[in-house]
Amino acid sequence: MTNPDLRPGVRRLFRLALRRPAGAASDVDEEIRFHIEERTAQLIAGGLDPERARVEAERRFGDVNQARVQLRESAQHRDRSLRLREMLVSVWHDVRFAGRGLMRAPGFTTVAVICLALGIGANVAIFSVIDGVLLKPLPFARPSELVSVWPDGAVPPGIYDILTREQRSFSSLAGYEEGRQLSLTGAGEPRRVLVSITSANFFETLGVAPAIGRGFRPGDDAAGGERVIVLGHAFWESQFGGDPGVVGRAVQLDGGTRRIIGVMPPAFRFPSSQVALWAPVQAAAGTPDYWWSTYMRLVGRLASGTTAASAQVEAGVLLPRARASFPMRMPDGWGRDVAVTSLHEAVTGGSRQTLFLLVGAVGLVLLIACVNVATLYMARAAGRAREIAVRAALGGGRGRILRMLLTESTLLAVMGAVAGLALAAGALRVLVATLPAGTPRVDEIGMDWRVLAFTLLLTALSAAAFGVVPAWRATRRDLSESLRATGGAGGRAGRLRVASTLAMVQVALAVMLVSGAGLLIKSTWKLQHVNLGFRTAGTLTATLPLPSFPNDTAGRARVFHEAVLSTLGGTPGVQSVALVSALPFGDGIQNAAMAVEAHPTPPASAPPTPKLALVSEDYFRTLSIPILRGRALTRQDRDGATRVAMVDEQAARTLWPTEDAIGQRIKFVWNDDWFTVVGVVGNIRRDSLSSAPEPSVYLSMRQSPPRGMRLVVAAAGANSGVDSDVGGGVDADALAARIRGAVQGIDGTVPVDDVRPLADVVEGSASRSRFLTLLLSLFAAVAVTLGAVGIYGVVSAGVAQRSREIGVRMAIGATTAHVRRMVLGESLLISGAGAVVGLAGAIASARWLRSQLFGVDAVDPTVLGGVTLLLGIVAVLAAIAPARRASRVDPLVAMQSD
Amino acid sequence: MTQLSLVKGTLDMLVLKSLLTGPMHGFEITTWLEGRSDGTLEVEDSALYQALHRMEERGLIEAEWGVTGNNRRARYYRATSQGRAHLQAETKQWVRYTETVTRILTSPRTA
Repeated sequence: MTNPDLRPGVRRLFRLALRRPAGAASDVDEEIRFHIEERTAQLIAGGLDPERARVEAERRFGDVNQARVQLRESAQHRDRSLRLREMLVSVWHDVRFAGRGLMRAPGFTTVAVICLALGIGANVAIFSVIDGVLLKPLPFARPSELVSVWPDGAVPPGIYDILTREQRSFSSLAGYEEGRQLSLTGAGEPRRVLVSITSANFFETLGVAPAIGRGFRPGDDAAGGERVIVLGHAFWESQFGGDPGVVGRAVQLDGGTRRIIGVMPPAFRFPSSQVALWAPVQAAAGTPDYWWSTYMRLVGRLASGTTAASAQVEAGVLLPRARASFPMRMPDGWGRDVAVTSLHEAVTGGSRQTLFLLVGAVGLVLLIACVNVATLYMARAAGRAREIAVRAALGGGRGRILRMLLTESTLLAVMGAVAGLALAAGALRVLVATLPAGTPRVDEIGMDWRVLAFTLLLTALSAAAFGVVPAWRATRRDLSESLRATGGAGGRAGRLRVASTLAMVQVALAVMLVSGAGLLIKSTWKLQHVNLGFRTAGTLTATLPLPSFPNDTAGRARVFHEAVLSTLGGTPGVQSVALVSALPFGDGIQNAAMAVEAHPTPPASAPPTPKLALVSEDYFRTLSIPILRGRALTRQDRDGATRVAMVDEQAARTLWPTEDAIGQRIKFVWNDDWFTVVGVVGNIRRDSLSSAPEPSVYLSMRQSPPRGMRLVVAAAGANSGVDSDVGGGVDADALAARIRGAVQGIDGTVPVDDVRPLADVVEGSASRSRFLTLLLSLFAAVAVTLGAVGIYGVVSAGVAQRSREIGVRMAIGATTAHVRRMVLGESLLISGAGAVVGLAGAIASARWLRSQLFGVDAVDPTVLGGVTLLLGIVAVLAAIAPARRASRVDPLVAMQSD
Repeated sequence: MTQLSLVKGTLDMLVLKSLLTGPMHGFEITTWLEGRSDGTLEVEDSALYQALHRMEERGLIEAEWGVTGNNRRARYYRATSQGRAHLQAETKQWVRYTETVTRILTSPRTA
């Protein structure tokens, strides 16, 4: 017997070619043949004749044909698993090797990991938000079938009934209110809760069953039947301690008894997470309730075979036709703007643009981080060129060395990703807290497997982005040149050129981000200096619902309002108090279709729809809205007296373009009660800081049916001009406590809620722009820092490599100042070129930002100039240390080195 | 003498034991087993090769093509250090197991 010609371990050590699968099969065949021949020979030697020996040998082997198939299979399985193991071993080998290499360069590794952690962390945090708000499917059954019908409008039960009767597009069509504040009593402390009034098929349409108890069923919406409610999960836990026995209990909503029949699962938060409970609409056909008090949005489940487009065509016919059924005259255009869009789009649409803008910005940050790490790599490659050349000379194939370098960059990216994930987890908490008010689906935001998968993808992309180019260049280099050269100029100059280009790209990207942030900052500043037309300093607001009387009568409600006004008016610290149906920048601002006596609306055209507010007489004084002409409202403008109205300047000009508004008459389109204009007040902003004031009409609350109001209290001394919290040195908390106390003293069942400075209410409307500004500024700061690091790295590498040249220059008479100027000039050249490219990019991408800007042109010379100046300063700062080092070069030492 | 069929799992041990003497090809292992057991152990040849593939996959043995004394190509198997350690541990366990079972089976009947 001879020894096998090659030890198996040697094969593995040198990573020689592995067998192909076909090889395993032929090996098996040969082995079997060999075995049977040996056995036959053995048997013949034992005395059997060859024929019988052969048969016996085959018998002892077992069923040869069957065995062959089985053995081939097991051999192939063995080879596959061995190959896999060898691959894992070699990858692990590479990883350990890369790890040791990175540990030998702790400075490089630390900076690179920090850069990547910032880039990846920021992206993961933003992705988490976007995934929760925009990308995840809605938590309903077959969500793709659900559509929002008429996203811009709402219908009363009367119209809803007509639509459900006549439509053919939906397998189910449901209505729901965004929510109304009602007083909940009979379950602990009286509370204001947000209640969504829905059609009886609401849960069924969305396809979500309650976690406990039952949902609504047909009949629950019958007028006069038992009144039932279903609780939201979060509210059930906070108000009822998660008690499953709550089903069947009775509570009071605005004084009316309601029985709890079910609790929804935690994921069900529609139309918003603020909704505490749902109640079916109960309005008898023909009653005013049927047309006036409840306006529901519509959500439909498309029947099989219908599309949103065909449903829209049908709704476009049905809705305007149903308008004729209103008992009052609706504007001619009512229902014409009906649209049918996917529910997902309707829910997330408002946040889409802001969030995608952030994706762009945060993507730039990661790109800069990658370019930065690539720049660092190029610098590091200088020290490794010889190492790589030695490896190549020893027979390491190009692919092998490429793999080694890519393993290193992947390891670096993974380290960055791990640090980035930790960073993102921290940042996410802050991020969610600063999200603009009204962002949908905030509760869906969190780190989950989808976020992890995204991180993995980013890691791979980053590793490729910063690893491939340097690795390619490193292996392309001419072997003999690297081995020979110790200080050859050619390779280094080329490397430095690439590094300078990368630094320039970084600067360009940073410039784009900084100009975006600059534009937003200027826009936010402008928003904060918009003339509101009313005073916010020293003004506190609160909700003031109507008390729940056993039998509500207008008279008793008026007595309650009177008592609140007079009690609070006499409270110490209060300068002035008023009631209003809807705050500027608050919820519930209504438009009303009106008719002007002097200028009747021509048939088939839309009537004017000014903003409408019911106010008490001191409203204008409390908010310091100037009365320009005519008189203020008084307490005498009450039931039975001549109905009067105040209009703002805008309304006066648009409704009566040719005459004086005072003395003119105006009425709602649906009845014949005329109001006489007695005064004109100043314009105020109502909806948002960025949209122009709209015409407004104010009616005396004493001449309108009583309703829940907003309380507005101006603190005494608020005029002193101190513009802080409530202002004028008044303690907001103390004043709030006094307001609550006063109202409790009048009626203990009325919860006073949402007490906050009017300034906060106004601020809330600008929260989206502030959020965007804050984040973009943050990203811009990171980008500038990374850019500065990039410039610094390239310039100091240049100084280090040219120390001999600098030495020569100084030896032949160059001054220190001259050398410093040279280094500084290099830095300015890089950032200058970057700034030019970046400004071009910023101008080209400005259109994405335009819709987010207020009072600032997307190409704003001040901002762009400021950005250029900033980058110039950064370039100088980044060059200071290298310039110092260059000027301290000792000509003797420099020329002796290398 | 009657033929004994092999208790499950013992074939691996026997093969490893045979390879302690040095690399062998499949037929050599067969004859080694037959010789050591005086022909009492019946191992179907195909089962032996299945076992070899399985053990190679687990890293207990390694295989390489070589040339026999009379100049024929054959696949040679050798025990790896992992295989030798495995044999040692398995043998210890096997001895304990058979001793215990034997003691119980051969103890005098106690009423």
